[in-house]
Amino acid sequence: MRTDTSLGKNEVIDSPPQRKELKRFLKVFLGRKIVIFFGLILLAVIFTAIFAEQVAPYDPYAQNLGNALQPPSAENLLGTDSLGRDVLSRVIFGARTSLIVGIISVSLAASIGVVIGLIAGYFGGIIDSIISRLIDAIIAFPAIILALAIGAVIGAGMWTVILALTIGLTPSYARVMRGQVLTVKEQEYIKASEVIGANNIRIMFKHVFPNCISPIIVLITLNLGVAILAEAALSFLGVGITAPQAAWGAMVSEGQRYLVSNPNLSFAPGVCVLLIVLAFNMVGDGLRDALDPRLRGSI
Amino acid sequence: MEHLLDVKNLSTEFNIDGTHLKAVDDVSYHIDKGEIVSFVGESGCGKSVTHMSGLQLIPTPPGKITGGEVIYKGIDLLKLKPDGEEIRKIRGGEIGFIFQEPMTSLNPVLTIGEQIMESIILHLKVGRAEARRRTIDMLKKVGIPDAESRIDDYPHQFSGGMRQRLMIAMVLSVNPKIVIADEVTTALDVTTQAQILELLRDIVKSMDTSLILVTHNLGVVARYAERIYVMYAGTVVETGTTKEIFNNPRHPYTIGLMNAVPRLDDPKDKKLVPVEGLPPNLANKKDQCPFLPRCVFRTEECHSSPAPSLNEVREGHAAACYVDVSKVQNNNIVEDEVASSMIVGEQEKPIINEPALPEENLLEVNHLKMYFPVTKSIFKRKVGEVKAVDDVSFYLKQGETLGLVGESGCGKSTVARAILRLYNPSEGEINFQGQDISKMRKKVLRPLRRNISMIFQDPFSSLDPRQTAESVVGEPLIVHNLVNNRNEYTQRVDELFRMVGLDPALKNRVPHEFSGGQRQRIGIARALASEPSLIVCDEAISALDVSIQAQIINLLESLKEQLNLSYLFIAHDLSVVRHISDRVAVMYLGRIVETADWETLYDNPKHPYTKALLGAVPIPDPFIEEEREHVVLKGEVPSPLNRPTGCSFHNRCPIATPECKTIDPSLSEIEDGHEVACINI
Repeated sequence: MRTDTSLGKNEVIDSPPQRKELKRFLKVFLGRKIVIFFGLILLAVIFTAIFAEQVAPYDPYAQNLGNALQPPSAENLLGTDSLGRDVLSRVIFGARTSLIVGIISVSLAASIGVVIGLIAGYFGGIIDSIISRLIDAIIAFPAIILALAIGAVIGAGMWTVILALTIGLTPSYARVMRGQVLTVKEQEYIKASEVIGANNIRIMFKHVFPNCISPIIVLITLNLGVAILAEAALSFLGVGITAPQAAWGAMVSEGQRYLVSNPNLSFAPGVCVLLIVLAFNMVGDGLRDALDPRLRGSI
Repeated sequence: MEHLLDVKNLSTEFNIDGTHLKAVDDVSYHIDKGEIVSFVGESGCGKSVTHMSGLQLIPTPPGKITGGEVIYKGIDLLKLKPDGEEIRKIRGGEIGFIFQEPMTSLNPVLTIGEQIMESIILHLKVGRAEARRRTIDMLKKVGIPDAESRIDDYPHQFSGGMRQRLMIAMVLSVNPKIVIADEVTTALDVTTQAQILELLRDIVKSMDTSLILVTHNLGVVARYAERIYVMYAGTVVETGTTKEIFNNPRHPYTIGLMNAVPRLDDPKDKKLVPVEGLPPNLANKKDQCPFLPRCVFRTEECHSSPAPSLNEVREGHAAACYVDVSKVQNNNIVEDEVASSMIVGEQEKPIINEPALPEENLLEVNHLKMYFPVTKSIFKRKVGEVKAVDDVSFYLKQGETLGLVGESGCGKSTVARAILRLYNPSEGEINFQGQDISKMRKKVLRPLRRNISMIFQDPFSSLDPRQTAESVVGEPLIVHNLVNNRNEYTQRVDELFRMVGLDPALKNRVPHEFSGGQRQRIGIARALASEPSLIVCDEAISALDVSIQAQIINLLESLKEQLNLSYLFIAHDLSVVRHISDRVAVMYLGRIVETADWETLYDNPKHPYTKALLGAVPIPDPFIEEEREHVVLKGEVPSPLNRPTGCSFHNRCPIATPECKTIDPSLSEIEDGHEVACINI
């Protein structure tokens, strides 16, 4: 994995033969059927989310109270909800919101958390103590209260959810990263770079960081699911996605009132969440292995 | 004649992702009552798997015992159910196993008494009181002081050597008929190794138990074994009595091993003859002599024939080789010169007048002290100091090699790390090329690092697993801006690869795709990249197999000559240090106790510790070993936390006098360049 590109004057020389690496990466990554399968699902979901307007059969916001709570039929493949809106169309539009919320909040949290954890773990001492106590403080603060407070200040909506999730998820990345760095830092190859005369930035990004990413990738794939579900909880509390906008989490919680009579209201978005989380996990695993040169040749 | 254990044609395969690894290939051996038999071979040659297979201890799958019989007391052990009652009685009860790692083979949450009693109760069916009595007896036998009170201690309260004694006590407490000792002393220091092996031999002899000594150390074999099986690539290639094999080795691999190992009694300028090449991959083995590609005696016949089987060359001595090595003359040998030197055993190099060493010192360490604080409670209150290095001084000139020897914990690695400023020295000066670098700020020091490199002990952990070999070797070039463009970079990296004997075509591989020896070559190439004047070798070869060690030693020596390098060579292996060093310093508990040029130090050691160390190193020659007097050093290295008063060696010293408890000796010159820290010399 290439990271920081401004590590030294000789960066051109520094980069490994890119094409060969890519070829090897693809070979390992696409070498597993299950990764390809879930990769395709993921691509399909992303595609539908982007082209929701074209794919969806109906307007997801068009109400038709006379046609409310219908079971699946030829017109409405997944039936209609309590306001008579087409569930399939809402699921398709919901993919957009859910993916945006999941991907943005997790990538923000991961980037911030990883850098914080890297700094804390690598430099140690007083810097580590300060950062670690700050992280503890954030963890000690209930995430829901935090989200409510943010909602109170900037109002409910998707960005509130993203902000709250980012703050809530960042500490776990910082913690995991710090722990990884503490182990990797003691490895002899780090000492070897120090002996060579490499500076801190180079050691941190070229040697420590790439050797710490495996658990981070796992955490990211897990958190994508967590984020999508958390969005539901926040919507339920009224600080999340606001009323007409479709989001999977929100749809699951809306549908639970009709769980017995119209289970498809909750099941349809629920299955989508399950699929996407599974897809993220599988692709994440494949990614982790493909990025690990130690597994070269053994797969 | 009935053997105690008779193994016939044992074969074990590992089936991983469709490839068949023939880990044990048609191995036959026998053990008689009360004898000490040794299995010698390098890592991966199948010596451990052979014994594991016999007791059905290999994991299945992926492992599978594909054939053979293991007859013990008339029963074929391979026919028993792998986890059945009968074989469990034999495992541990009749055939005991001692493993390599004393630190992990005891359960940390149970007292040692509990663990030893458990096996006594299980196998001998006695009551707790009786088991406890026997445990205490056994602990006394293996030399644990205060056995009655220490029986209730936990494993972490014992040192590594003591834990290995506990393992021996545990295994022998149930009166087994056979004990398999798998590399039991590999993780231990030479003096501890001698203690443990002497103990093991005395106990098995007194109990009339057979001992199978699995090891890679030819010296250990020569000193303790009565009969030998030499293993290579999953097969036994030679077997016979110890004296016969050492006197008249017939398999080229055995001969190669013997010539590859530096010995304490070698002539100094003996060039080690490494076994070139690498051990074969055991996957998809062909029916051909496995040693063929590395063999210097190979003939046309070997290429076209199936793998040779053991042929008796003399009464009780068999070798798996088509060629009668003892009759081969210089003709029809692949590399005449190498082979002839192998037969003669040693070939004297012409003596060249060494260039005079420069006047000024390249490196001068003065009164170096490295203390680590011991803190307690969350407030980090300092409660003591570990004096890892306590007032060490030495010098090193350009083009010279200084060997620093001592047992683990003596502070030799700490010295290395302090010189490289991986630690900040507590006190003292480190003058490198006339500048004191001991207190220099790291930023200021960085450009100077070009001139000092380091070769690390572990070729597996010292290379970044995510970097290609090229970027590992090229990193110093980039860090110090030694090349201007991609072209120069590639050229220089290729040149470095060739210098250490690696094919530049391999440079896009990542470290784990190389073997241990190749990885160490990459480490050496990295150390050479910035054209340093000093290279610190911290146990640089101790993690490698013997046949590979010789390759690396030769490489280091030829590089030194070519590039006029200086080495600070840190090692615990005294034979290797003797081979490579111009001067040697012996460390004990953070101090240098004796220093001299190599010849004086090894031929005329003065300090009792140096004498003990040298005496503990076994020489791979059973005839010399028979003659030698084995003085085993008592006790263990004390913790540097509570260093004994006066001379820190006084409690283990054979010539200590009452004054030694109070007078702390400092190094004093007894003849030109020979300094000893002892008041009784």
